Amino acid sequence: MNRALITGVGITSAIGQGKERFARALFGGEHAFAYMEREGRRKGSLTFVGAEIRELANATRIGERVRRRTSFCGLVALATVEEAWNDAGLDAVAPERIGLIVGGSNLQQREVVNATEAYASHPVHVSPYYSISLWDTDLCGLCTEAFPVRGMTYSLGGASASGQLAVMQAARAVESGELDACIALGALTDLSYLEFQALRNIGAMGTDRYADDPSLACRPFDRMRDGFIYGESCGAVVVEGSESAGMRRARSYGSIRGYATATAGNRNPNPDEQCEIAVIRRALKASGLSPAEVDYVSPHGSGSVIGDTTELNAVVACELSHAFINSTKSLTGHGLASAGAVEVIATLLQMEAGRLHPSRNLTSPEMPSLNWVGEGAINQRVRNALCLSYGFGGINTALCVQHEGL
Amino acid sequence: MDRETVWVEVKKNIAEVLPSVNVDEIKPGDRLVELGANSVDRVEIITLTLEGLNLHVRAHELAGVENIGGLVELLHQKALE
Repeated sequence: MNRALITGVGITSAIGQGKERFARALFGGEHAFAYMEREGRRKGSLTFVGAEIRELANATRIGERVRRRTSFCGLVALATVEEAWNDAGLDAVAPERIGLIVGGSNLQQREVVNATEAYASHPVHVSPYYSISLWDTDLCGLCTEAFPVRGMTYSLGGASASGQLAVMQAARAVESGELDACIALGALTDLSYLEFQALRNIGAMGTDRYADDPSLACRPFDRMRDGFIYGESCGAVVVEGSESAGMRRARSYGSIRGYATATAGNRNPNPDEQCEIAVIRRALKASGLSPAEVDYVSPHGSGSVIGDTTELNAVVACELSHAFINSTKSLTGHGLASAGAVEVIATLLQMEAGRLHPSRNLTSPEMPSLNWVGEGAINQRVRNALCLSYGFGGINTALCVQHEGL
Repeated sequence: MDRETVWVEVKKNIAEVLPSVNVDEIKPGDRLVELGANSVDRVEIITLTLEGLNLHVRAHELAGVENIGGLVELLHQKALE
């Protein structure tokens, strides 16, 4: 059977661009939370705490002409895919055997709001490029124009589970032999003040409780949390079949042992413990792993008041209390569509380093008896990791990654 | 609005959309496609110019435009209407 290996990664986040810089930021417990400044993220006195990418090093494969007509979301995707492409050495794989799955939908709402405000009084002058960039598939077109991907490409929506769903679909494509390699992109979700306010109003996003000190606002699993805090990020994972990777002797970060999805059957964003238990059990079964063999859990943990508690209840019910657990979102913020891919990358980088990164603001954890990595990174080898993602629409996903080097 | 104002606006937007083009060398007989503009770039240049001059032209009115000089002429006529 063709196993799904991960032979390349690319990462752009508010705490660093590129895997080396990102890993340093993770292990150092860095953050970039502040009042967001990007155009379209403020409205009068209305402001939001989040983490923004300060400086983007653009992909070298695109020129000024493409840069000018490409949205921020697109530029971040190009830069991130370029890192993953080079990391995996995909120039050695036949273009028609490579695919790209863009995880995420409604990715560029900030551009929509900005265009609406700019052209409300004279819509006849709206840029023709807006007719291209409004589709999530613009990222498919941009990236496959810059990189020789000629197998298949499409976008795939699963709200905050999109990134992990993209990794799963990429795994399916290489396991079945449809492709030799497939890039799974967890795309940057670029939201405006309007979406942030709506997410705050529904109780998902954090309030202004920590207005005086934005660095305290993002605190998944801490008893004083009050919702997720947004953070810009984008992750690209190159999933490659073991035959292709073996033939060209590509290095592998790890293998995707198994994965599962489960559906809560619920339109509202409240979590469903039974569904979360079901998805973990299905993923472990698909991976041929017992709970005892899982060394580390990379939780969804958005910082939601009910969601975090529900998730920990599911982890305990699945007999995973022994596993180490931390919060990548406490450092990066919640990237929404990108989160699942970014957290798979964070997991692989931790496995590679034999270290687990700290969790910020975990002053008083829910379920203190769990194996939390709180303040300060720890040295810990991990062979099997379980990554969890949950998205609006009742979409629950779980994926097991195994380190190849142990 | 005189013809020169339209010329300046068109050249400014060609420079914006096609950074590698030396706009000082553009002649009325040149065509945008020859300068390297793809189909969306051409509409982008025209839309930016219409916005800059606060004009509106219907898409079918552009159908007969052969070159940059023709575009300037059409927009100049529109400005006079």
